[in-house]
Amino acid sequence: MTTISWKWAAALLTVILALVPFWPGAIDSYLFSFLFFVFIYAVMAQGWNLVAGFGGQISLGSHAFFGLGAYTTAILWSGNYLWGSLYETFPRIYYFDPVTMVLSGLVAALAAALIGLPLLSKLRGDYFALGTLGFGEILKVIFVNGGDFTGSAFGLVTPSSTFETLMPHYYVGLGLTVGTALAIGWLMRSRYGLALIAVRDDEMAASANGINTLKVKVAAFAGSAFIAGIAGSLYSYYIFHVGPDSVFNLDWMLLPLMMTVVGGTGTVLGPILGAFIMYAVFDIARIFVPDYHPIISGLTIILAMLFLPKGLVRKILPMSMARN
Amino acid sequence: MANRLLEVTDLEVAYGDVRALWGVSIHVDAGSVVAIVGANGAGKTTLLKAISGLVPAKRGDIRLSGTSLLGHLPEDIARMGIAHVPEGRGLFRQMTVLENLELGAFQPKARSNIKHALEKAYDLFPRLKERTGQKAGSLSGGEQQMLAIARATMSEPSLLILDEPSIGLSPLVVQQMFQLIETLHKQGVTILLVEQNIHQALKIADYAFVLKTGELAMQGTGAELIADPEVQKAYMGVLEL
Amino acid sequence: MTLPSPEILLQLSINGALGGAMYGVAAVGLSLIFGTMRLIFLAQGAMIILAAYLVRALFQHLGIDPFLSLIIMVPVGLAAGWLIYQGLFRKAAAEEDRNISLLIAVGVMFLVQNLMTVIWGGNTAAVVTSYTASGIELLGVRASFTRSMGFLIALAGTALVVLFLRKTLVGKAVRAASEDMTAATLMGISPHKVNAIAFAIGIALAGAAGVAVATTFPFNPFAGFIFSLKALVALALGGIGNVTGALAGGIILGLIEAYVQFFISGGWTNAIAYGVFLAVLMFKPEGLFSRPYKKA
Repeated sequence: MTTISWKWAAALLTVILALVPFWPGAIDSYLFSFLFFVFIYAVMAQGWNLVAGFGGQISLGSHAFFGLGAYTTAILWSGNYLWGSLYETFPRIYYFDPVTMVLSGLVAALAAALIGLPLLSKLRGDYFALGTLGFGEILKVIFVNGGDFTGSAFGLVTPSSTFETLMPHYYVGLGLTVGTALAIGWLMRSRYGLALIAVRDDEMAASANGINTLKVKVAAFAGSAFIAGIAGSLYSYYIFHVGPDSVFNLDWMLLPLMMTVVGGTGTVLGPILGAFIMYAVFDIARIFVPDYHPIISGLTIILAMLFLPKGLVRKILPMSMARN
Repeated sequence: MANRLLEVTDLEVAYGDVRALWGVSIHVDAGSVVAIVGANGAGKTTLLKAISGLVPAKRGDIRLSGTSLLGHLPEDIARMGIAHVPEGRGLFRQMTVLENLELGAFQPKARSNIKHALEKAYDLFPRLKERTGQKAGSLSGGEQQMLAIARATMSEPSLLILDEPSIGLSPLVVQQMFQLIETLHKQGVTILLVEQNIHQALKIADYAFVLKTGELAMQGTGAELIADPEVQKAYMGVLEL
Repeated sequence: MTLPSPEILLQLSINGALGGAMYGVAAVGLSLIFGTMRLIFLAQGAMIILAAYLVRALFQHLGIDPFLSLIIMVPVGLAAGWLIYQGLFRKAAAEEDRNISLLIAVGVMFLVQNLMTVIWGGNTAAVVTSYTASGIELLGVRASFTRSMGFLIALAGTALVVLFLRKTLVGKAVRAASEDMTAATLMGISPHKVNAIAFAIGIALAGAAGVAVATTFPFNPFAGFIFSLKALVALALGGIGNVTGALAGGIILGLIEAYVQFFISGGWTNAIAYGVFLAVLMFKPEGLFSRPYKKA
């Protein structure tokens, strides 16, 4: 496949997906919610891919930023402020409010910058990964102990009465997936993107060339957190109940990670392809072998690593997608 | 004709797209000291690494007593009788002198003979015997080099490869080093030597090869090359009068 | 806040230290695997819990006393570790991208975790024997019998590993390979053999730890991950590459947990443990017992 044709294929697919809700009965179909979840995972996967695939820094803390984003949205929306007067000053936050979503992303990004600066300046490779892992767990405990502000172990409940259909979720999900892909594709072609790849491939050489490697790495980490935060926000609008066990769950980190790896780290399409395929595999397993389906996830990644370590995308589209 | 222990033919080695060796051929006769000299980056270390299997060869052949070494893992090549002391010595710095020596005889063939080999090593390197319980990393530069060479002899190799043994050592120690190499030579050990210190290397070498940017520029006996005006001009800083 | 009596503090300390030895023995296994393969085997905790379930099965179906089952668990662990390496990690170890091995370890963790859920259910399990609740006199204070046994197992396991590494030629080869794999291959040491040995011992230690865990506290399929994390904390405290340090690190962690649980609350123990972990990683990565070592 040449460089041009896969782009047309992707655009065509996007249009098709955008039109799906107009198919009679589609909205209530299982496929609809299936696609919605694929979108969330695709966004998470792309976020992870940014810092780990393109940036070369394996982060095991994306679930922490997902949770932060989800909580930010829930806190802002349920009006659970410690300082009640904010109610009067700002208009009531509403359902699928873009400001809230962006804010959720920013909170996550800020946290990432704060924790990323010390971690990335001191730790390399495995050690950095471990640091992010610990961070996720610490955050969970903090939120459990946050009292009324965070709803403690139970979490926060948001107005589920606003829910009518899954339509807005679907479109926001689709939009975020495509938007993130476009943004990352553009970013990796920019000067920053080239710097990021340079740092990933040879940090010493990059630094010798005048690149501020720490800034580059922290930016990628924060960017990845921003994306995860927005995904968390989206999830928050779906679940209407944000609790530590559901949003700080390791699955939000491990599954997107696996999806990216299966799809192909360091490629633009990889995470999305991986999300589609892996989620489909899990769902099929859940339907046909309900008792054993959790095993499938572990099996899949092991098999993927043994036989397809460079990911699917590189097998199918050997030339153009190898943006690495 | 002398017995050809090592025969390298038209060897090509590349690191990714960067070619390091362009069809180099050398040979080492059993019982001789062969030196490979040349400027930095000429490909000398690459050549040694290719022989021990640390880097793959793109083209060409390497034969030890007639058996091809291509495609073999380094640990297998070591067991075939090649002991390689890499640049930087490759000592296990956290482990003691004795432990390093013992590991030199790790190969099953050598393991049964370990006591005898240790005695021989201590005879040759009395200073090491004094330091037998010390951590290798705490030894002086010269002692470390000695340990590295001693360790290599523990497996009674048919071919001893030394990569820049004199690097980082003071002139006096360098002298001792080359005396040591000469002693080993007299004991019948076949030695392939890469050296930046061309003068010393050519003095003890029976035969030598000059590498220049990945290619063989010259070859000849040690005596021939020392006297060669080109060599003198290019490598030994001899002024033209 | 009034300070509790010295007896209580002593009892706290002893039980904490005894329990922490379990993290230590897990950490020793991690240390071996990391040393040779530069891989953080995140599935170690899951393997320990799997071992605990097996110990329970042996007890419930065959009536074999948990401590006696050590005789079975250790050899089984050795064999299993060897097989896991050959089957799953051998190929990945040769790859340049070390993330592949890491991801396989994650996959194994997932797989084992879910396997346990499928076979034994997701609820908490425990092994209750005649001596589960009994205590012994230690330093004038009552200490848990099972924890003391667990401590002995940890001690014995670590001692055996240390003996192996220091006194046998193969053990020295493992140490050498951990320090400089390339130089080791030049001695004729095969990386795959060394890796497999490290893995085998690591999983054997997991088997032993499983016995300790099974007899000491209740467990469930998902406890493995937290166990891995705690083992990592122990490893960081002790200094990566330091086998005795790993055991000591575990004991220290056990002490920290005991104190936090008593003085603050149980909910914060994990967070504080990770906090300590992060702090050590950042400020004293060579561990508390600083010996010169090489970061990966």
